[in-house]
Amino acid sequence: MAREPLIDRSFLEKLERLAMRWQASFRGRIGGHNLSKFSGPGQEFLDHRHFHEGDDVRAVNWRAYLRFEKLFLKIFRVEPHIPIRLMVDTSASMGTGDGAKFEYARKLAAALCYVGLVNLDSITLQPFAGSLADPLACAGGRHKFAPAVEFLEKLEARGKTDYLGIVRQFIPRYSQRGLLIVVSDFLDDGGCEDPLQYLADFGHELMLVQLWAEEDRTPPWEGDLELADSETGARLRVEFDSRARESYTAAFDEYSRRIRRLALRNGGRYAGLSTAVPIEEAIFGTLARAGAVE
Amino acid sequence: MFLVNLTLAQLLAILGTVSLGVVALYLWDRSRRRLTVPTLRFWTVSAMAAEVKRRKRIQQPWSLLLQLLGLALLLLAVAQLRLGTPGFSARDHVLLLDTSAWMAARPNGRALMEAARDSALKYVRGMPSGDRLMLVRADALATPATSFESNRKVLEDAINASEPGATALDLEQAMDFAVRARARQGGTGEIIYIGPGRTRRQPARAVPGLRVIPAGAAVSNCGIRSIGMRRSASDADVWEILVAVENYGTSRRVADLSLAFGGSPIGSRRVSVDAGKTVTEAFRLRTRGGGRLEAKVEPGDDFEGNHSAAIEVPARPVLRVAVYTEQPDLLRPVFAAGPELDPLFRTPAEYSATADADIVVLDRFSPAVRPQRPAIWIEPPGGAPVYPSGPAGAAALTRWRTDHPLGAGLRTRDLRLASAQPLQPADGDIVIAESDRGPLAVAREGEPKTVVLGFDPMRSRMRFDLATPLLFANILRWMHPDAFRRWELNASSVGDVTIETESETGDVRVADASGRPLPFTRQPRSIRFFVGSPGTVRVTTGDSETVQSLVLPELAETVWKPPKGVRIGLPGFTDSGSGFVELWPWLALAGLLALVLEWMLYGRPREARRPVQVRAAARGTR
Repeated sequence: MAREPLIDRSFLEKLERLAMRWQASFRGRIGGHNLSKFSGPGQEFLDHRHFHEGDDVRAVNWRAYLRFEKLFLKIFRVEPHIPIRLMVDTSASMGTGDGAKFEYARKLAAALCYVGLVNLDSITLQPFAGSLADPLACAGGRHKFAPAVEFLEKLEARGKTDYLGIVRQFIPRYSQRGLLIVVSDFLDDGGCEDPLQYLADFGHELMLVQLWAEEDRTPPWEGDLELADSETGARLRVEFDSRARESYTAAFDEYSRRIRRLALRNGGRYAGLSTAVPIEEAIFGTLARAGAVE
Repeated sequence: MFLVNLTLAQLLAILGTVSLGVVALYLWDRSRRRLTVPTLRFWTVSAMAAEVKRRKRIQQPWSLLLQLLGLALLLLAVAQLRLGTPGFSARDHVLLLDTSAWMAARPNGRALMEAARDSALKYVRGMPSGDRLMLVRADALATPATSFESNRKVLEDAINASEPGATALDLEQAMDFAVRARARQGGTGEIIYIGPGRTRRQPARAVPGLRVIPAGAAVSNCGIRSIGMRRSASDADVWEILVAVENYGTSRRVADLSLAFGGSPIGSRRVSVDAGKTVTEAFRLRTRGGGRLEAKVEPGDDFEGNHSAAIEVPARPVLRVAVYTEQPDLLRPVFAAGPELDPLFRTPAEYSATADADIVVLDRFSPAVRPQRPAIWIEPPGGAPVYPSGPAGAAALTRWRTDHPLGAGLRTRDLRLASAQPLQPADGDIVIAESDRGPLAVAREGEPKTVVLGFDPMRSRMRFDLATPLLFANILRWMHPDAFRRWELNASSVGDVTIETESETGDVRVADASGRPLPFTRQPRSIRFFVGSPGTVRVTTGDSETVQSLVLPELAETVWKPPKGVRIGLPGFTDSGSGFVELWPWLALAGLLALVLEWMLYGRPREARRPVQVRAAARGTR
């Protein structure tokens, strides 16, 4: 039986009118489509400054010289190509239940990858769980999308999440700052907030996409439950009732709010998505409102 | 308090089994579940509140109790729990509602049927709720209108739909039916008869548990009992009419009896009839034509159904005979003798194969085209349907076939015919007369019928014998039996009809107005049959036909007096309560309510939280 494609063609056609957006200014190769606060060779005029020795005489404003007999240099806003890293959580927690969360993450990653490829961005797909797995660098247009899909389809949800470990690997591996999109449930017993803060402090712009299945947020069960952690195997026996459910949901929501605050505090963005939300609505609704794409 | 459908042991056994099952399902539904979750982080936080609770095996005792209670109530409803004494049981009554013709009488301006219906409705409405009743409409035949029914609406509808019939009440047969019906139900109820008690015959035996509710007051009625008509033996155009008037009331009556034919009065008499007696008046009516004869009795009284009766009188049939002969004077005495015949004498030259006649007579004459009507060939010269077997000559007539209608009553002695043509009969032909030279008279069935005489009776010594007119009479009757049929017209009442017959043998046919045969019983010199509704019945026996116009209602003459010990009138119903109260509807309702309440309090939230029904309540962007 043929496997269902991650994203169908009609949805890809809709994605072609989107583009990835970021807020920070990065240094990068010239020729991108996102404006930067940095000046340099470009098409859009930014400001004038006094001419200093060694400046490019081609940028001198000769009209101003004729009028004021002083050399002024025109400076332009640079439009750089900046690297986009798309980190996909492949830990065991993403595959709990019927695996809908992991499937959702792969579809979302594929959709964002396609948006970047269409706009000639360079995107690195970086799976992670306890450590960084082998990445896939995609650049050069939409015809590079097929290898990306194949790469995502081969991913499996297993392993224990270790955000601190992967950040330690990430920073030396990707020294050039850029947009960092993390698609994950952010469930790490060691905590993910400090490692993410490190990434932000290093200069990456964070786009955190938190995924959850509905039973992750509002467990439907009641009574005597024996729970097993999907990553650590730790067991817990609880009496679960409606009041406990309310406490659970409140704790979950509080955790989500902390992740959101972390992203916003560092100039990044945050989107929380339930797997019940259709992927198309997630892209054009939630992520568009968050400013990840436009 | 007692159970109807189950014993207490059965109830407890079923309840125990069901309860065990419910508890087992309950515990299984709430048993510990093993789940794999993405993280224990939030569970640890939320379970803190739950773990401080006292641990219980049964976490929702009210849910379990409500389920058990609901099932127990439903089981009690199924077992049909009753509040009362178990010894008391519902009774099954049989109500005989008189629907005989007499119930149409209206003494004091109110029909007996209305009074009977009112009494029946009062009985039904006052009957204990648990009792059942079978309504039987009683006239000549007892007809159940309902089964044993406890639904008052059904019974009241059946009572209101009961109307007087046309036959008299046969109370004995109705009571036999009621006794058998009650016995099949255990014989605990009573038999109720509502009516005036006018019946064909007195019931032969007393019926236990009988209640009689008299309906109506005394009825004054003097009306026509029957009308009889037959043709006069001396004059075929005269009808002799006998009208019987009977006084069904309790006092002597003087009434005017008048007859009219085709709307014209033909006679009237004033008759004085004693109570319970019958007076018969004779009238004569001269007519050849047909019409409607109507008899009336005036003045009116409490019962109008027998004040008039009508009979359709048929016209006298006339048989047209076309006689082709050169010597009409010889045949005229034969064909002009009877009133049923209308002879027309013509010469052979005037012959027509399609002559306007019922019978054609060819006297010593053979036409080129054979007649298309029944024909009598007398000594044909040739070309007759029956061929000659030899030359004509003298012959001695030796035998008549007297066992056949064509030869019935014929007798001649030493008859020698100077000229006779022996005939050669074909298969199926009937030889009427034989001579020493062979058959001399042959009849042939088929369409048309044909008789060939090899001799001329009017030109031989036989002319002066009685056999000659008898021979032609037999031939004409055989060819056209309807023209010679004797008619008798009667107007009488429906029900059992007995008609006297002249012979004990012969074919008998009893049919209604549409020609459909009716079942009948043949007895020595009489025929009996039953007709339940007004109409006309034709009884054909041999050459006579009786038309029975059953237009009069059958009124019984016997008035039944209830024997001593029979309960009379409507019961008080004060001591006849049902003895119990049905609880099962309330138990069923309470059981359902308990289950619905349990589902609303405990089941619905559980269902709503099933993983398969997780609502797509996405939170959206945070």
